Amino acid sequence: MTVTEPASESVAPPAGPVVKVTDAWKLHKLGDEIVRALVNVNLEVRTGEFVCLMGPSGSGKSTLLNIIGGLDRPTKGTVEITGRDTSKITESQFAALRHDTIGFIFQSYNLIPFLSAVENVELPLMFEPYDRKALRQRATDLLNLVGLSHRLDHQPAKMSGGEQQRTAIARSLISNPTLILADEPTANLDHRTGEVVVQTLRDLCSELGVTVVASTHDPAVAEQASRVVRMKDGQIQAE
Amino acid sequence: MLKYGLAYGLLSSQRRAREMLLPAITIATGAFLVVIVFAMSAGIKKQAAGLGHADEIGHAIVLIAVTVLLVGVVEAAVATTRTIAHRTRELGVLGATGVRSRPVLVALLVEPVVTAFFGALGGAVVAAVAGVVLSAVGAAKSGVSASGTTTGIVIAVAVSVVAAAVTSVVPIWRAVNRPPIKSLSAS
Repeated sequence: MTVTEPASESVAPPAGPVVKVTDAWKLHKLGDEIVRALVNVNLEVRTGEFVCLMGPSGSGKSTLLNIIGGLDRPTKGTVEITGRDTSKITESQFAALRHDTIGFIFQSYNLIPFLSAVENVELPLMFEPYDRKALRQRATDLLNLVGLSHRLDHQPAKMSGGEQQRTAIARSLISNPTLILADEPTANLDHRTGEVVVQTLRDLCSELGVTVVASTHDPAVAEQASRVVRMKDGQIQAE
Repeated sequence: MLKYGLAYGLLSSQRRAREMLLPAITIATGAFLVVIVFAMSAGIKKQAAGLGHADEIGHAIVLIAVTVLLVGVVEAAVATTRTIAHRTRELGVLGATGVRSRPVLVALLVEPVVTAFFGALGGAVVAAVAGVVLSAVGAAKSGVSASGTTTGIVIAVAVSVVAAAVTSVVPIWRAVNRPPIKSLSAS
């Protein structure tokens, strides 16, 4: 796996855990009822780990991922990303942290329909003053990395689900992140395509030292992980 | 940073031209009416003066023009709301990847402004041509004035563009600053 110089400043791997969730609770109000989406969750993820959050629907996997990525905030408890306590930073500071440190992969890919594959990969850095040629080269290299060198100019509608998800993986890497959060990355894919996507995520951990936290229902995905965290009713049941 | 937002906005406007067609046509309709009213107003006023009702007719023409312009403003606002609804997930992705709000605001403002400009210009040009044709075949008894047509074109395009920008800023700013999780979970 070789790519050109990262378009953003590379972040040195943290000495401590990349992710540290301490006593995190997430409560939602649903009418008169209080729903406990997360209950006293504690989790540490170290550099280069591929951690799978497993559990049935409604077990709190996605909520935990969203809280780690700052898309949502815990009702109680703290989340540290690369040693930085995110409960003490503003939304815009968290956005900057996400931009530099975290890559997201979504279940439904969330590619921009009117952009080509290479433009979708460039998207997170399109609004920054990077050299356009260098950015294009890096995006091209990342698409090569995920085996999509033949799809650079294709729009999402002209790509298969697996190709769209691999484009989303390439997009998550454009800022050279320390951490990738993947929410059910294989849920919309057939078994064989899902295997390719999981293998790609695994390669990112082993060869680029990226830390991956993924949620899944699929035991085949969990088998590839370096650690499996089982969740039920918003709680971590076992590791 | 803002110039990159502008570049992204122009790229998306170019690629989303088909989606912009309907709002452009509604804005064009408003602009068409504005130009026709202004083009014929001088002749109508002249005829009204002959009948001794210049002031009343003049006020009525201004009222019609203002009403038509207000319809154009509402059309621009509706078009923006529709655009934001279509692009909610895109905003969620931009938010999740930590893109700053201001260049995104600029990027999303480009589309309603471009739609308003080309829609109004298109409607105004069609109205000007229609004015010439009506005049040539004698269907506009009160006459069609070149200066009124020009004034109508300038007012229609300027008001449409300004209205599109003004009515778009607040809803786009709200959408851009919505938590990304809400935008991503929107259907």
